[in-house]
Amino acid sequence: MRRIIGYLVLISLFFGWALAQENIKWGDDGSLTIITQDDHEEITIPADQVGTLFGPGEQPFAGQRIAITVNTGGPKGGISGPLHQLRPAWEQLTGAKLDIVEMPLPEQLPTTINDLRLGLNQFDGFIEGAWYMGEYITPGFIIPIDDYIADPRFPHWDPNWMPPSLRNIYTWENKFYATLNDSDGQVLYWRNDILSDPEWQAKYKEEVGSDMPFPVKTWDDVIAISKFFNGKNWDSNDPDPDSGVVLHFKVNAQGHFHFMTMSASYVVRPGDTVDRCTNNYWFDPATMEPLINQPGHVKALEKLQELAQYGPEAQAAWDLTEGWDYFMRGKAIFTFSWGDVGALVQDPTRSKIQGKLGASIVPGSTDVYNMCSNAWETLDEPNVVGNTVGGSWQGIISSRTPNPETVYSLYSLMATAPVHSWNTQRGWTGVDPGVSIDFLPPNGTATLEGYEAAGWNPDDVKFYTQAYYDNFYAKTMMPYIRINGTEEYWRALDQNLSEAMIGRMTPQEALDRTAEAWKGITERRGLDLQLKQYQEAIGYHP
Amino acid sequence: MRWNSPLKYVFLLPTVIWVLCFTMFPLLYSLRLSFFRVNIGQKDIFIGLENFARAFKDPNVWNAAKVTLTFVLVGVSIQLVLGLLFALLFNRALPGRNVLRTIMTLPLFATPIGVGYMFITIFHEEGGFIRASLGAKIPWLSNPNWAMVSVILVDVWNWTPFVFIVLLAALQSIPEEYYEAARLESSSQWELFRYITFPILQPSIILVLILRMSEAFKVFDIPFSLTSGGPGIATETFSMLTFNTYRRFFDFGYGSALAYLLLIAVAIIVTSFFGRIRQAYT
Repeated sequence: MRRIIGYLVLISLFFGWALAQENIKWGDDGSLTIITQDDHEEITIPADQVGTLFGPGEQPFAGQRIAITVNTGGPKGGISGPLHQLRPAWEQLTGAKLDIVEMPLPEQLPTTINDLRLGLNQFDGFIEGAWYMGEYITPGFIIPIDDYIADPRFPHWDPNWMPPSLRNIYTWENKFYATLNDSDGQVLYWRNDILSDPEWQAKYKEEVGSDMPFPVKTWDDVIAISKFFNGKNWDSNDPDPDSGVVLHFKVNAQGHFHFMTMSASYVVRPGDTVDRCTNNYWFDPATMEPLINQPGHVKALEKLQELAQYGPEAQAAWDLTEGWDYFMRGKAIFTFSWGDVGALVQDPTRSKIQGKLGASIVPGSTDVYNMCSNAWETLDEPNVVGNTVGGSWQGIISSRTPNPETVYSLYSLMATAPVHSWNTQRGWTGVDPGVSIDFLPPNGTATLEGYEAAGWNPDDVKFYTQAYYDNFYAKTMMPYIRINGTEEYWRALDQNLSEAMIGRMTPQEALDRTAEAWKGITERRGLDLQLKQYQEAIGYHP
Repeated sequence: MRWNSPLKYVFLLPTVIWVLCFTMFPLLYSLRLSFFRVNIGQKDIFIGLENFARAFKDPNVWNAAKVTLTFVLVGVSIQLVLGLLFALLFNRALPGRNVLRTIMTLPLFATPIGVGYMFITIFHEEGGFIRASLGAKIPWLSNPNWAMVSVILVDVWNWTPFVFIVLLAALQSIPEEYYEAARLESSSQWELFRYITFPILQPSIILVLILRMSEAFKVFDIPFSLTSGGPGIATETFSMLTFNTYRRFFDFGYGSALAYLLLIAVAIIVTSFFGRIRQAYT
């Protein structure tokens, strides 16, 4: 009996010790140090950024419980990881409990919308992809947060850190609905050690008969270099031949974003106005006629097909992580993808190419299709178009939650400069850079030392942060849509693109079929509503 | 209790409530939806048979019908043949027969959605098990035809044990005396199978066939997890199309119409099958 009691005491002591572990530390100067869940890393937030809500011994939301939905990924997964890592600290700060409800990407929108529509209200907030926003805003399912942002009680983050291109997808009709988190946009990555190698440049000239077009300026340059390197064993990592490029085209797995990124420079004409043929991509803003099967889009798909043939055949069935891994294993010269790649390359457990990375805004095209005059225009300089393709996964608050302040306190903590930087400097978090606190001077306020302390190679950092600065501050941006039914429009595009990429349809057939599907979606959802939302989305004034 | 006691209605009530709530209501509600255009936050609009007419013009519907039919015909046929062969084999006196029988049935207890994800790692074209062990670079998931083969193979792996178990049980119920008597007339194994085993097995084969066909027509989990319906829409089955239409795009009216079309098609096929069987046995 004594032995049993002894064991019980020991077990109680162990659990007592475990529960007593501090997840936060308060500095004498009022600063707050957060200790992450798994690796026990410390993130210090200066006193002037903590807000007045939190303090030693204060637990302003004690007894409350909130549920936040997020993509499936677990404690070290993209987008979900930061929630897990901050949860113990946030719970200790607030006294509230956080339920992290993970869902596979295709399930997130249907599950949450059904929940809200049926009035079940199981969730207090959502970490959503920006293209879902129309679905939440139109029926009034989420609330604006401008008052909270201005409220000094909450942890401080500054919306002015955002470039206009990102601000556009965090707001709706000039009201903020989401807090700073992820900044999605695709840039071009390449193997700088190979492309800047004089020996490889000489071999290229010998085989092709012209200088290697490096640094690349146009998509044709990317195709030419990919063609040269594809099938050669240019990397000593393994005895197998390597590829020129790697992309991912698995259906329903975000492959269509590659097409959007590439096609923008053939389609989006620069200018100061917004109309059918200027700063426009998706629909005629006067009529909602789909423009996706216009010659500019078709030519871009033909170019994408041409480029993809210099990549591994298996990429037709790959999702983004499989494509990234192939690039990080040193198997491809190029990829164009999100900020995750640059950050993951710094992880030596996943990457063989740290310190060998080059990155820039995606290249352009000297041929741009004018959708007003229905004619191709040839420019002196390539038309380079920045993009915000992807989800820019961001926290929004349900209008049905009884605890909006509790939810915002979590989101705002994640948006503070130290936590945001901690996230962006670790590839596995899925939180990508895009705001001034992520960029090196003179573009922003981040420091090379900060990145190096997180294990980054300094050359990689310079390429990477400059690429993202150039992308998000590009003079011409690809318009982003978040109207009702965006998921459905994009799904139709994604399926037909995938059909074209495996050769079951020609580019023209695939995009014609997409246009037909889009007409049906617009008609079913209501032309007037769709048109109004689209005009607002791209800033068109009839 | 007297037969005409009103108390009998009390005992019937739970069943009636169950059937009304969980069978009739969803059926009738989705039937109603199929005649409406439904958008979240907007009033439902009655559009008659427009959703059904739209289905016949929708190339994705025809593709899904073709994929589903291919899956059912090829997949179920292979399962039936393999299941029968294994049942015949394991009905004999083999060393370690019981262990082998148990191993044979294991795939049946695996969740199809998990099986799909597991087979991604086996079929992976760069680092998958088959590539690593055989060195053969087969485009299992990136080529539309091979993707269909992959989906069927996984379903065969998952469901052949079901056919095997049912047919093995049927085989074991055949009295040995039948064979002993037949051997006085013939010693040909083929003739024993043709004139004794197969006729006795026929009702079980038909039962298995109907069960597997009606399940296979609704297949969702394996292509969903293994290929997501791709590449393109090469492996998008009717159930996947219906699911995506209804749940992902909130096109509740059209999704309901598609579900009813599948229900009608399966009902026609299974009923006509039953009809032929009844004719054959009466």
